[in-house]
Amino acid sequence: MADPTTEFLKGTLDLMILKTLSWAPAHGYGIARWIERCTDDVLEVEEGSLYPALHKLEDEGLITAEWGITEHNRRAKFYRLTPAGKRRLAASHAYWSRFAGAVSKVLETAPASA
Amino acid sequence: MPVSDPQQTPAPEARRASTWRRYLRFWGPHAASDVDDELRFHLEMRERDYLVRGLSPIDAHTAALRRLGNLDSARTACIGIITRRERRMARAEMLDVLRQDAKFALRTLGRHKAWTAVAVFTLALGIGANTAMFSVVEGVLWHSLRYPNADRLVFVVRMPKQDLGNDRVFVSPSTSVARAWRESARSFLDITAYSTRDVLLRARNATVAESSQAGTEAGATLVHAGIIMSDFLQFAGGRPLVGRGFTATEAHEHAHVAMISEAMWRGRFAGSRRVVGRSIAIDDSLYTVIGVMPESVRLPRTFGAPDGTDVWLPRDLSDDSTFSPTVVGRLRRGVTLKAAATQLDSIAARAERASETAPAGRAARATKAAPLQYSTQLLRPEQLVTIHDSLMLLTGAVSLVLLIACVNVAHLLLARAATRDREMAVRAALGASRRRLLRQLVTESLVLAGAGCAAGIGVAWLALDALTALRPASMVALADVRLDATAFMIAVAISVATGIVFGVVGVLHGGRYSAHDALKGGARSVSQTAGQRRTRSALVVSEMALSATLVVGAALLVRSLVNLQSTDPGFRPDGLYSVSIPMVQTTQDAMERRTHVLEDLEQRVRLMPGVQDAVIADAAPPNQSFYEGALQFEGHAPPPPGSTSFFSYNGTEPNYFRLMGLRIVKGTTFTDTSKAAGQVVVNEAMARKGWPGQSAIGRRLRIVNDDGSGNWRTVVGVVANARLAGMTSDPTEPMVFVASAEHFNPTLLVRTTGLTQPIIALRRAAVELNRGMAQPDVRSVSDAMSASLAEPRFTMLLLAMFSVLALVLAAVGLYGVMAYSVEQRTREIGIRMALGASRQDVARTVLRHGVSLALVGGAIGLVGAFWATRLLTRMLYGVAHTDAVSFGAGALVLLGTAVLACLVPARRAVSIDPAIAMRTE
Repeated sequence: MADPTTEFLKGTLDLMILKTLSWAPAHGYGIARWIERCTDDVLEVEEGSLYPALHKLEDEGLITAEWGITEHNRRAKFYRLTPAGKRRLAASHAYWSRFAGAVSKVLETAPASA
Repeated sequence: MPVSDPQQTPAPEARRASTWRRYLRFWGPHAASDVDDELRFHLEMRERDYLVRGLSPIDAHTAALRRLGNLDSARTACIGIITRRERRMARAEMLDVLRQDAKFALRTLGRHKAWTAVAVFTLALGIGANTAMFSVVEGVLWHSLRYPNADRLVFVVRMPKQDLGNDRVFVSPSTSVARAWRESARSFLDITAYSTRDVLLRARNATVAESSQAGTEAGATLVHAGIIMSDFLQFAGGRPLVGRGFTATEAHEHAHVAMISEAMWRGRFAGSRRVVGRSIAIDDSLYTVIGVMPESVRLPRTFGAPDGTDVWLPRDLSDDSTFSPTVVGRLRRGVTLKAAATQLDSIAARAERASETAPAGRAARATKAAPLQYSTQLLRPEQLVTIHDSLMLLTGAVSLVLLIACVNVAHLLLARAATRDREMAVRAALGASRRRLLRQLVTESLVLAGAGCAAGIGVAWLALDALTALRPASMVALADVRLDATAFMIAVAISVATGIVFGVVGVLHGGRYSAHDALKGGARSVSQTAGQRRTRSALVVSEMALSATLVVGAALLVRSLVNLQSTDPGFRPDGLYSVSIPMVQTTQDAMERRTHVLEDLEQRVRLMPGVQDAVIADAAPPNQSFYEGALQFEGHAPPPPGSTSFFSYNGTEPNYFRLMGLRIVKGTTFTDTSKAAGQVVVNEAMARKGWPGQSAIGRRLRIVNDDGSGNWRTVVGVVANARLAGMTSDPTEPMVFVASAEHFNPTLLVRTTGLTQPIIALRRAAVELNRGMAQPDVRSVSDAMSASLAEPRFTMLLLAMFSVLALVLAAVGLYGVMAYSVEQRTREIGIRMALGASRQDVARTVLRHGVSLALVGGAIGLVGAFWATRLLTRMLYGVAHTDAVSFGAGALVLLGTAVLACLVPARRAVSIDPAIAMRTE
């Protein structure tokens, strides 16, 4: 998996999960579909990394989980953002913006031609 | 492509799986199945997605699986995270529950402050007293020697085969026998020998010549020396702090090398590591220091050995008659004492036959050896501690106290349990599970036990301090004793067990409490069942019985001590002082010199104002001097060879008896002190032994030595029996007083009348005459005599304290029962009073109940005491172990305590207002 997009995805998965949940509580599949839809399937969420990430976030107390019933009577585990998660989301988002901005600057700045 | 809802129709197999999962989930959350469910849901949703996009079911399934990829690691990771979290939560929950329970327990206990205080106090007393006592026993008896494999350590002594009537007479083996043992004894891992001596250590800067001129105060101090063999360090499992131990050559040559003790190293040499090679002046020679002995290596405290050794000198067993060694060895594993003793016996017999010398007497202060038949005895170190018996007794007594304390606590718990039925019923009705209630009760008991333990440590500390302060001089080891953790643990374990058993059992007895009944009846009408009442009465009776036994034992000891103290010793110790000069060297010269010094001192002291008289004898009370030989009485056959014995022998001058205050009942004192006249005075016991029913005056007796020689001596006087060997000694021991100017170990006895500060005056006089020699030992005989009472007094004091403790605890128990009983029968009492019973009647009923319990317990206890006090016989003087007065006193004390305990409940019963009483439920 030397795909550069996958590498980036791993590091920012937590951020995307938190953001997704900030709109509304969702189950794991719902989070994956939302991310895919947002990016028009450019980003394919690796299920193998999604669920460990979700459980890790739950362990850290940033999200809580609850078994619930979907609209069509299926049993699924729903995740929801906690206040601590909200705070973490804000911080990570700010960091990401600064980071992305910095990278963009590097990509766009050309050496000064004399 | 329209994204339609893929969740329209769940696949049939999915539904079956979910039902099964739901069923499993009934048993509680399960990490693995949860994760599996989650992943399965995701998989199914993906499948649906593909189905919607037009793939066939099989293709959709394959595509979804492929899409999900290898989920094993994800699954494991998720399960791991969940499991760890659940474990953390479970731990936190348990701690939380415990904390809750503990808080609740504290609150409950705090609500009944008096009850809790009594319970904690009782536990503290029991635990504390026991820990202190066991620590003492541990320190004094068992761990006085910190040698490796100390449990296989034995002392090898020789004891005369004949029964001499004395308790224990030990004799050191001769050096040739000891050598033979070291070479041939297969039953021992190793054997070594040592002895102790007092030596003169001269001051650092004074040369030998200077200090003998300046006098002892300026230069020299008497220190304790341990004379050891080169393998002693290894035997004791120690290593020199600095330098090295002795080599075999040094030991053989009696080289002038020495090891100094750690204390001396730190003090005199300031802990300098360059102490090796320095010189110290011991006696009249210079010794080179070759090493420092650590503080942890000590000589055993036995045979009156001094406490602490200051210098160590080398010696070996090449023939030297002044080295009376204490032989100590380590048995091989699996060898019995008997087998080893037998082997040593045969080796000794062979060695003696080879060398034709008899063992050198150590206990005897005699010069002549006699062919006594000896056998080898092996003694364990603790058997040699004189206070062994007393300590065992006290340990037994304190265990009884612990028992009573536990019974009391059990009692208190049961009492409270009876009132908690209602509380338990309510809680059960409100949904508490049985396990929860059980846990709550156990926590309560543990909290109570914890408080008791904490207080117990404090009590043990104080008790140990008190014991150390009270100790008799012979228990030097007591100064080192520390609180012993094992003893504490045992006491704690017993108390905790009691607490839990009775705390829980009492409340949840069979769990048959009916919520309905308990709730309907009011709190007061929760009466005791007959079984409960019987249990509690039985507990009180047992407490009373145990206390009675202890009280009787204490009374016996008290009477015995009073007897001892008021016993007429047979002579007058008041105003009597003894002066002796410890032997530094045992050369002929030194001994003669000492005799001269004492004779000069005798002359000088007689002239001192305030001194009535002075005389030189072989020993001053409570010490005794012995002769090892056979006695032949005129008119009887000569004693057969091998029948020698030790008998008390004192060589002295004519004024001895008057000076000592010994009463001459027949005849006179010596009239002619020449050797030719051979006059002796005997005590009544000896007279009766030799010539029963006749007058001993003018009779002759003969002291027979090993070679059969011995002159006939004439009895010129008979003195009354006296306790010259200490207040606890047997006055009916036969004694011989010989007119003799030759003394092996002379002591000066001085009778003073109104001499101010006699000890200082005498010592000054002695020092003036005794320049350059060791400090004289000046003692007051009356002090020494009362010191011989120190051990019995100590034992009595402790036993008395324990019995008081036991009584207090038993009284508290009785009080509890009576108070509860009165409370239970409030209504009944009220009715009786309303019907005309007088206050006295009511009081009498209460008292009768309580006293009858005490009487039953007391009777049992006294009967038990009849049997148990047999163990005390060896410690009783002038009192039989079935002494009626003591038993009577014990019974009275018990009765008195019982009455006192019942007073408050009786008063409460009397003050019941009938009107109110009848209205209460």
